[in-house]
Amino acid sequence: MSVPAELRARLVADYRPVRRLRSPWARALWILPLAIVALVAAPAAFDVRPEANLGWLGVWGLSIAQSLIGVLVIGAALRESIPGRDWSRAAIALWLSIPVVSIVAITMVSWEASPVSLRAGWWLVGGICFAGSAATALPVVALSSILASRAYPTRPLIAGSLLGLGAGLTADAGWRIFCHFSEPAHVLSAHLAAVILSTTIGAMAAVRYSRLRGEKDPLHEPVGSGGDHRDRSE
Amino acid sequence: MREYQSGRFEAFDEIHASIAPALRRYLLSQCRDAAKADDLIQETLLQMHRARHTYDPSYPLMPWAMAIARHVWLMDRRTLSRRPWAPDDVMDMELPVRAEAASLAERDEVRRALGQVAPGRRQAVIQHHLLGFSFKEIAERAGIAETAAKLRSSRGMAQLRALLKGTEGAPRKRRR
Repeated sequence: MSVPAELRARLVADYRPVRRLRSPWARALWILPLAIVALVAAPAAFDVRPEANLGWLGVWGLSIAQSLIGVLVIGAALRESIPGRDWSRAAIALWLSIPVVSIVAITMVSWEASPVSLRAGWWLVGGICFAGSAATALPVVALSSILASRAYPTRPLIAGSLLGLGAGLTADAGWRIFCHFSEPAHVLSAHLAAVILSTTIGAMAAVRYSRLRGEKDPLHEPVGSGGDHRDRSE
Repeated sequence: MREYQSGRFEAFDEIHASIAPALRRYLLSQCRDAAKADDLIQETLLQMHRARHTYDPSYPLMPWAMAIARHVWLMDRRTLSRRPWAPDDVMDMELPVRAEAASLAERDEVRRALGQVAPGRRQAVIQHHLLGFSFKEIAERAGIAETAAKLRSSRGMAQLRALLKGTEGAPRKRRR
């Protein structure tokens, strides 16, 4: 079995040496600067939650942990984007559940240490937290998507969902430092909804990009570019 | 594969020789059509070339290649599920001849004339005028530019008209 002549011609026309992609975990580190910006953006622009009971560890420590988990999940998404390195079903379930469990756990710890209820303006405050957290996640989703698209995700829905989830978690870590309310009903609706939105955006972007990549692939142009324009001379 | 990544194109022959039989077995087991499997192998090899920078030589080659082959197979299946049927041979299909064409010739004449139109143009005419595909869709299916699809269709129609009028082969007037 030899390489068909037409295939060889296409490959020769497109061939050049390439630099190998770095390991997914190394590439996930590129997210770190943006994760730090996302972590400090809301508290710098607005305020830090004034809860003496929580202390530095409860406010910043838990958020840093949440942000690092987010970067880790993005690393998992970048690994998923490499052909043949995809995660098993059990691993995917684990990667999807870790962020949710961590948000719930951090929320419960914060609530136990310093219960601050939201008495009025539930929708307004919820809307602000939802919009703020989701908006902060967008640049992280964008950068993660660019990193993932440098690879070749064969399961774009899973890769996109994971990177969106990681980005949402990273962004919400910063928003959590600003949000004054530790009431689980507020956090697990407004904040978690923003993370879910980010996950959806990541998944949709990855699937859309995957389809566009298939449609715009220059290798699919007929050999000897110009396609059917030879028809003109017929 | 490491050599192929770093600039030795000839290494592709070795890669092809080592993985093509396994790819063929896998794709054949999926689509159960030898010709289709061969097409999918070529597509897989193209995509492997495109994604060559993602291969890490510290891992075995086969799982990487198989993941791409599986992706190519699933993409092909998705495309087919969107367009479950496309004519390969004009002689096999029932042509819903329109009134305009009916006034020019009988159904069989149209079929025969269409059979004489150049294959690329014929596909474009059938897909656009009979099946209602947009030029964008035709271009995607044929792997050509949208303008080329339009050109094929319009020239195919012109050729068909000429064949039906019996003027095919006669010198054409030059248009400005």
